[in-house]
Amino acid sequence: MDREPFLARVEGYHKGGWRLALINAASVLTADEAEQGAVDVTWAFARDAEFEHIRERIMPGDEVPSISPSFSAAFLYENEMRELFGLNVTGINVDLQGQLYKTSQKVPFSPSAIRARLEANAAAGIASATMPVAGAPAHGAAKPAAIAPAAAPAPAASKPGAAE
Amino acid sequence: MANPLNLPMVPRALRNVVSRPATRRYPAEVRTPFEGARGKIEFDVSTCNYCMLCARRCPAAAITVNREERTWAIEHLRCIACNVCVEVCAKKSLAMSNEPRKPHTPADSRDGHRPGHEEWHGEAPDAAVTAARGSGA
Amino acid sequence: MKKTIIPFGPQHPVLPEPLVLDLILDDEKVIDAVPTIGYIHRGLEMMVERVEYTEMGFVVERICGICSFMHGMGYAVSLESIMNVEVPERAKWLRLIWAEISRVQSHLLWLGLGADAFGFENLFMHCWRMREEVLDIFEKTTGGRIIHSVNRIGGVKRDVSDSELAAILARLQELAKAFEETARIFASDPSIAHRLGGVGVLSAADALETAAVGPMARASGIRTDTRLYGANLYDQIEFEPVVETAGDCLARAVVRMREIPQSIDIVRQAIEKMPKGEGLPLENKPRGNPVGETFTRLEQPRGEVLYYVKANGTKYLERFRARTPTFANIPAMIKLVKGCDLADVPNIILTIDPCISCTER
Repeated sequence: MDREPFLARVEGYHKGGWRLALINAASVLTADEAEQGAVDVTWAFARDAEFEHIRERIMPGDEVPSISPSFSAAFLYENEMRELFGLNVTGINVDLQGQLYKTSQKVPFSPSAIRARLEANAAAGIASATMPVAGAPAHGAAKPAAIAPAAAPAPAASKPGAAE
Repeated sequence: MANPLNLPMVPRALRNVVSRPATRRYPAEVRTPFEGARGKIEFDVSTCNYCMLCARRCPAAAITVNREERTWAIEHLRCIACNVCVEVCAKKSLAMSNEPRKPHTPADSRDGHRPGHEEWHGEAPDAAVTAARGSGA
Repeated sequence: MKKTIIPFGPQHPVLPEPLVLDLILDDEKVIDAVPTIGYIHRGLEMMVERVEYTEMGFVVERICGICSFMHGMGYAVSLESIMNVEVPERAKWLRLIWAEISRVQSHLLWLGLGADAFGFENLFMHCWRMREEVLDIFEKTTGGRIIHSVNRIGGVKRDVSDSELAAILARLQELAKAFEETARIFASDPSIAHRLGGVGVLSAADALETAAVGPMARASGIRTDTRLYGANLYDQIEFEPVVETAGDCLARAVVRMREIPQSIDIVRQAIEKMPKGEGLPLENKPRGNPVGETFTRLEQPRGEVLYYVKANGTKYLERFRARTPTFANIPAMIKLVKGCDLADVPNIILTIDPCISCTER
């Protein structure tokens, strides 16, 4: 990800009086070799009824710059991303040093941890989600338009009013 | 300095002294459950056709059905009384009673007894078929 | 001066919630607070890997016992928006009514707990006695007092007859009248004013900076309320969010206190506006598996809740995330706790209305 333009965009939200609504990480489950270990991170901002987000795909080894210089409340989400997803978030204003979550499994939501769990489930015959298989149509390929493109302005579904 | 006579709670407290308690002497006095309350699952073995839909749709996996042996069993302690099995049952063999289950005591678990486990055995398939034929003739 | 570290929670006499905070003290002043999440972390978000999306609603409902209706509704609304299911009109109104009634019970619960925390046990019992009646309404209409299980993707499972709705409204309005007396006590009792007034002041600028939501932000003079944006039929309801400007613990209590009659009024408007009659459709069953992603915002009793759902066309969701209001309010709480006296910490923590089960999921 491009660090400077990203931070400038975040600061733009800060100056515009937006509130940090959520930073959400989601491991990318895909059979695509090039995308292995990627995590989608979404920074969502709200200003009254408006709701916008920035999305970046973080590849293994990438650094995620902290937005806590602009939004001081980001530290909880950023510590969470680091502990649950194993992302390398740098420059958090309140660094909890891995003490925020007390989970028995370290980084339980990282792509490799999810893959290991799902494969163990499949081997043990436990009904669960499965990893996409190479060659087979990707999950959700039937309706790709429904998935928001990365870093686009808020997709239709993420507007607050769209939720009926 | 606050006014020492400003005691807005006093009338309320005095009324409490003479009024009935808001609580009940449970378990001596039990409130009748409301009509629509979800208490526990009741099963009618005579109408069940062992389609296993209830077992498959139960979010808590509390129901086990064995089609071959014609048994239907529920673990009431696992059941979350969500009403899904009652909704999906095509034969209307299941019903939600508004009477909650009584709490169980350690004595209920003695001698290998499984508290909350309830099991029904249907008639053997052959017998049922014979019975149906018999009544039709 | 030597610094002292005092663990606040998970078991603390003032708080039934297992909040874990390490307070770093300099004499009696708190200079820092370090939160820990995970004492009751149940991994509910991880359960999407093994629980089908149709059954996940029952799990989401159990995130928290107090906002359980709103959690169930939020999950259903998220999936409906992904799957393009149109919810029948009456089902939407019923959801709105139940949501507002659950706001009443949540605020009554909180006022009771708050009173208990600052040592007003009598008031605590009065609030909870009233709350029991609200729970009775839930048991009569949904079948459950705490876990309602009436929301399904595409609608609701139970109808409430028009005559029953009228009776519920009458009961709630009686309750609002009885609550006036309790509200008077909150507003005029000198011990409450002494204990809460001027304690833990959050300025409007700080509330925005720390991304506070719900009554916490409204008590600091910010007019924010997800209901204002019109989703879930709130555009047909006339109401003005309760805003206080003092920003202290008392203001936060007063906001919740004033929201109780307001919610009852919203229930009245909803009952007037909803389509009447028996046997109206309540549910449109979705077809197929969901594909897509969505954010859903709802106003829970504690503030804005955000759900993120990502579905990939299988029976299992790829990611489910609930950002609960307490999670958003923790930075503000830490900000308030820094610099206050140790004796004020319980009140400050309590007035954010922490729901730790929500936060730790």
